[in-house]
Amino acid sequence: MATDLRISNISKIYPGCVANDNVSLQFKSGKIYALLGENGAGKSTLVKILSGVISPDNGEVFLNEKNLKLNSPLDAKKNKIGMVFQHFNLFETLSVFENLSIDATEDNKSLRLRINEILKKYNFSIDLDVPVLNLSAGQKQKVEIIRCLLRSPKVLIMDEPTSVLTEQETEELFISLKKFCDEGILIIYITHKLKEVLSLCDEVAVMRKGKVVSVSQTQNEKVETLANKMVGQKLAKIKKKINISKNKDEIFKVKHLNFYSDDPFETNLVNLNFSVKKGECLGIAGISGNGQNELFQILSGEIITPDTSIIFRNKEIAKLNPKQRREYLMAFSPEDRISQAAVPELKIYENVALNNFKSSNFFEKGLVNERKIKEHSKKILSDFSVNTDNVELKSQFLSGGNLQKLILGRELITAPELLICYNPTWGLDVGAINYIHETLIKINDQEKSTILISTDTEELLKLSDRIAVIYKGKLSKIMPSEEVTPEKLGVLMGGGSID
Amino acid sequence: MIKIEKRDDAPMALYFFTPFIAIILTILGGGIIFYILGFNPIEALKFYFITPISNLYGLSELLLKATPLCLIAIGLSFCFKSNNWNIGAEGQLTFGAIVGGGVALLFYNQEGFYILPLVILAGAIGGMIFALIPAILKTYFNTNEILVSLMLVYVSKLLLDYLVVGPWSNPEGFNFPETRQFSDSSRMPLLFEGLRIHAGIFLALAAVMLSWFTLYKTYLGFQIKVSGLSLKTAKYAGFKGKTMILFVFMISGACAGLAGVGEITGPIGQLHRMISPDYGFTAIIVAFLGRLNPFGIIFASLVVALTYLGAETAQIFLQIPKYTGQVFQGMILFFLLASDYLLFFKVKILNLKKNELRH
Repeated sequence: MATDLRISNISKIYPGCVANDNVSLQFKSGKIYALLGENGAGKSTLVKILSGVISPDNGEVFLNEKNLKLNSPLDAKKNKIGMVFQHFNLFETLSVFENLSIDATEDNKSLRLRINEILKKYNFSIDLDVPVLNLSAGQKQKVEIIRCLLRSPKVLIMDEPTSVLTEQETEELFISLKKFCDEGILIIYITHKLKEVLSLCDEVAVMRKGKVVSVSQTQNEKVETLANKMVGQKLAKIKKKINISKNKDEIFKVKHLNFYSDDPFETNLVNLNFSVKKGECLGIAGISGNGQNELFQILSGEIITPDTSIIFRNKEIAKLNPKQRREYLMAFSPEDRISQAAVPELKIYENVALNNFKSSNFFEKGLVNERKIKEHSKKILSDFSVNTDNVELKSQFLSGGNLQKLILGRELITAPELLICYNPTWGLDVGAINYIHETLIKINDQEKSTILISTDTEELLKLSDRIAVIYKGKLSKIMPSEEVTPEKLGVLMGGGSID
Repeated sequence: MIKIEKRDDAPMALYFFTPFIAIILTILGGGIIFYILGFNPIEALKFYFITPISNLYGLSELLLKATPLCLIAIGLSFCFKSNNWNIGAEGQLTFGAIVGGGVALLFYNQEGFYILPLVILAGAIGGMIFALIPAILKTYFNTNEILVSLMLVYVSKLLLDYLVVGPWSNPEGFNFPETRQFSDSSRMPLLFEGLRIHAGIFLALAAVMLSWFTLYKTYLGFQIKVSGLSLKTAKYAGFKGKTMILFVFMISGACAGLAGVGEITGPIGQLHRMISPDYGFTAIIVAFLGRLNPFGIIFASLVVALTYLGAETAQIFLQIPKYTGQVFQGMILFFLLASDYLLFFKVKILNLKKNELRH
């Protein structure tokens, strides 16, 4: 029997953020659907609504024209909606079979029989009696899939399934998914990887900022068209005047930056080399999850990598920690402004004291100089037009925009020669974005340099003098931004090549 | 209808008020237990909480027991505030007592004003060294400090056992598992004739003042605070994480060592197997009941010390085993954790009628 899943006018609003804005979509069995979007575009919220984890503020879900009340994951299961999350929900110390039998209703003997049937049918090779912790990521995912298949699902939702898989495992997964599809299971595939959409899916819905911005047949799409839809093409024409920096000194130079991690949720970085000139803004574009996090932490000194050389103002700083790098006049504005750049439970002036450089005298002879810190904080609040003058306010009560202004103000108070920022306007409103952009341009005007790691192409094209793209931990060649078009960026961000 | 909502920010007053709620609930819970056991709850609670401190001797005993609890909890607050879970204070206490006691035994037949300071110093250093073991293993080998510090408790207790039975046992002691008596120069001076309260209390008070100053007025205290709230931020700010871990463990170990040496040079006067009725573990409860605040810890150590005393009185007058003290200590922690729920959530009672209308 054909399955028809319809989402009608779904909205979900979180404080300060519209996660889903009137989303309507229609899916029919026999096809694989992609739900494409950047982190924070609202895919996960939608998926959580479909699987009953959260309930929408508005809107309805229909399965074969039956209005579903999805108040809990149990409701989703009852209605034959299966879900494989990005992070596995398995008990590592229990065996595969024990994991599968936890929520089974039948006796062990018939369950084992049914599991073996599934294994055989889809050519899965998994030993049912080994503990889950001995399995590879791909095998664990298969266990999750089997768990869904045991309930003969009508709908199977896969949330970023390939993020922890090897290429080989990815191929195997695609083969299985196509098989499920042929058997009449409706498959919704959530991803931000463009190539996967093109090679696997029949139809693609693109989400951006909580809205569905396009629904189309994948055969009519290319990597770059999808990339543009995903990151948004309404490019502001205002660009800052390009710095004529050809003959200027290189102030910052990175050589042989390699990073290897055992954690499958981290990205390895492969031999990055780049440099920044005085007064220049170097933009690093890329879809999130391609190594930006790791790159930022290595540049800031939170992660020290062996054999990397980082020269800043003619000094080797690769082995220095963030505090020491600050003394050499570097400054950092991380992506996670809420819980990394600041501590929400701390007062504004205490958050300001986090950037404790030597000449600040915030701490004299190891003692807190509260008066000095507060004076400084007051100055930051007024210089950077944060909408409070109360330095005793806990920073959790600042809006995103005001918090970002505070953080930038704190970082810029040392008049740094180089500011490294990562998604500085993420989640902010237009007013705040403009303010931050003006500030960043001003820094370059004062002959100070910036490195802007951003997933927002519009922002990069507006602010950067030169742009490179990071994809799967590798950096493209660095291009002068006047030669860069959104289309080119789109291709590079999707892993294509432009030569 | 009752609705439970997450709070943005708990009022400071509530933060310090919830420990009192926990204490009241503990007393109520204790009353119920006594009732089930067949005692008159009012009477039993009176024996437990009022009789022990109704005379001067009782008050002196209360301070005597509160002293080590307060000292250890002050040290632990450094660890806990910075997200380091040192639960082996009992071991650090024991090892401090061993080192301090060893020095006292060296001088067993000598007199001199310099002996007691040496013994105390040795105790602090002993505790410090013992606390450095989990700290070094954590910073350089990534081990879990909870497991290591806990397991080291048994190491130090067995070492003490071995010493008092074997090499350090009193040659004139008829093979009792205990050392010689320390000389008077190794003993803490008593504050009042006839009462057991001794000068160790000043060590505890000094620790309170010093820790308050360090935690709230110095860069180090600031780093401890930030690391406790967000390790990510501490890393981003470039705090020296490893040095700080070593430091808080050293402080904590030194305080526990001081507490141990205070016991053996104070009321005990020698080394034997039972130098501490688990002060090192109970101090964890004291630290949290006192909200990791130095002055809160003074108050909490008095309350918890009373549960020790009450248990002894109850044993004498009601023939209840003195281990009920641990039941009370457990209840305090349990109710404290439960009432912390109020800090993070607020309970709203909604008007039912309004709600019905909407549906």
